[in-house]
Amino acid sequence: MNPQHRIPIRVANKRAYVWDVDDLDKIRSEHRICGLLVGTLPHLSQQNVFLGLPAQLSPEEATLLVEKEYAVFVDDTNAYPEPSLGQFQQWCAEQQRYIKHQQEILKSESTKPSDVAQLAVSEAAVRKRKERELKRQQKALELRGIQEDGGGVDVESFQLASTPSVEVEHSIRPTTPSTSEPSHYNISIAASSSVLSWYDPDSCTFPTIEAAQAADIWDFPSNIKDRARYGVFKDLWEQGYFLGGGIRFGGDYLVYPGDPLRYHSHFCATVIESPTYAIHPMEIVAHGRLGTATKKTHLLCGWDDEQKTVSYLSIEWAGFG
Amino acid sequence: MLELHPSYPALASIAERYPAHRGSLFQTYNDLLLAQQWREVEVIDLGDCRRGALQGKRPKTATDADALLHVVPCSLAESISLDWIQNAFKSLDNPQSLYLAVVSDDSSIVYYKLSSGIVKPSI
Repeated sequence: MNPQHRIPIRVANKRAYVWDVDDLDKIRSEHRICGLLVGTLPHLSQQNVFLGLPAQLSPEEATLLVEKEYAVFVDDTNAYPEPSLGQFQQWCAEQQRYIKHQQEILKSESTKPSDVAQLAVSEAAVRKRKERELKRQQKALELRGIQEDGGGVDVESFQLASTPSVEVEHSIRPTTPSTSEPSHYNISIAASSSVLSWYDPDSCTFPTIEAAQAADIWDFPSNIKDRARYGVFKDLWEQGYFLGGGIRFGGDYLVYPGDPLRYHSHFCATVIESPTYAIHPMEIVAHGRLGTATKKTHLLCGWDDEQKTVSYLSIEWAGFG
Repeated sequence: MLELHPSYPALASIAERYPAHRGSLFQTYNDLLLAQQWREVEVIDLGDCRRGALQGKRPKTATDADALLHVVPCSLAESISLDWIQNAFKSLDNPQSLYLAVVSDDSSIVYYKLSSGIVKPSI
């Protein structure tokens, strides 16, 4: 395939990301590579159950897609050179147009402010709020008085009592006017910055692993461990399997017979770096027993770095003893 | 004192050839024959792994009673490798699968079925 028609894998900090949902669809449905959605809300990363774009590809997944000529690496950081004066002026003009547009809308709305907005700043509301705060303050002072009389002040209740006074201090601060003349505006940041006129990925697109490694934006596979992992990943993928992370079952990969959304995995795979790599019988026991309990065969995948071949050994509990 | 046990004569030649592994061989032999009730249990020389292995058939009531199965004993404290396992397969004329008997110091034994290639879990 012509490199220009390949899927761009954006690389940042030597990690591979896919930012386009159509590309992600293609990678999954046509190339049996799933990746992991990692996009979340910047300030609420803990509260977002459903992650979105971008999808992060594991080093094995990204390397395979590039090696099979389905994708190219794009050095994302350097794909945005300094804009030229003309491009910058054009961008500023667009921003100004957008700001003006917003202000016009705001102006037309401020002539008929909504009831809710009015209520929040009406004199009655302000007075009520002040009364409430005064009451709270008094209560806090009373509480503190009681405790001081009582002698033994335990730290916890003291802190409880002192909180309201902090709030009062807050309320003394002048409130930011939110309904004055529309001098403020929103800055919109486009979800995809590849629409910017100075975006230029051509000079930092790498169609091969070697080229990306030479440009120092990618290093996988760099050692025997990586080569073994990649060798096993590729061999299983070439046999038609889908592969996922093996963390849940203590392996390197989970091996699915089809899309993980449709199938349970049949195997949990562990990568063994070389035929002479030490294996302790306890590992066989642990993997074998867990696999049997979860209806998965454990695969020991042995990588031979000289022959560049993989040999497989399936482990199951014998059913006796 | 191993020599005084009634099972010993059957194992004597191999046990003397590979004294380092005679303990796990002895325990596995007794467990298969007496606890698991296997039939026609015989000792074979597993030259490449420097130890004796066992072959036999499951009790008559088992589903695969007629299949000749192979068991390779090893100690829990040993360290093995894929090469070692491949050698065991080779010495046994490349069966579909073999059983690894892992023997611990307190003589408890667990058996794990090792199959070469990618074999789907049995349902």
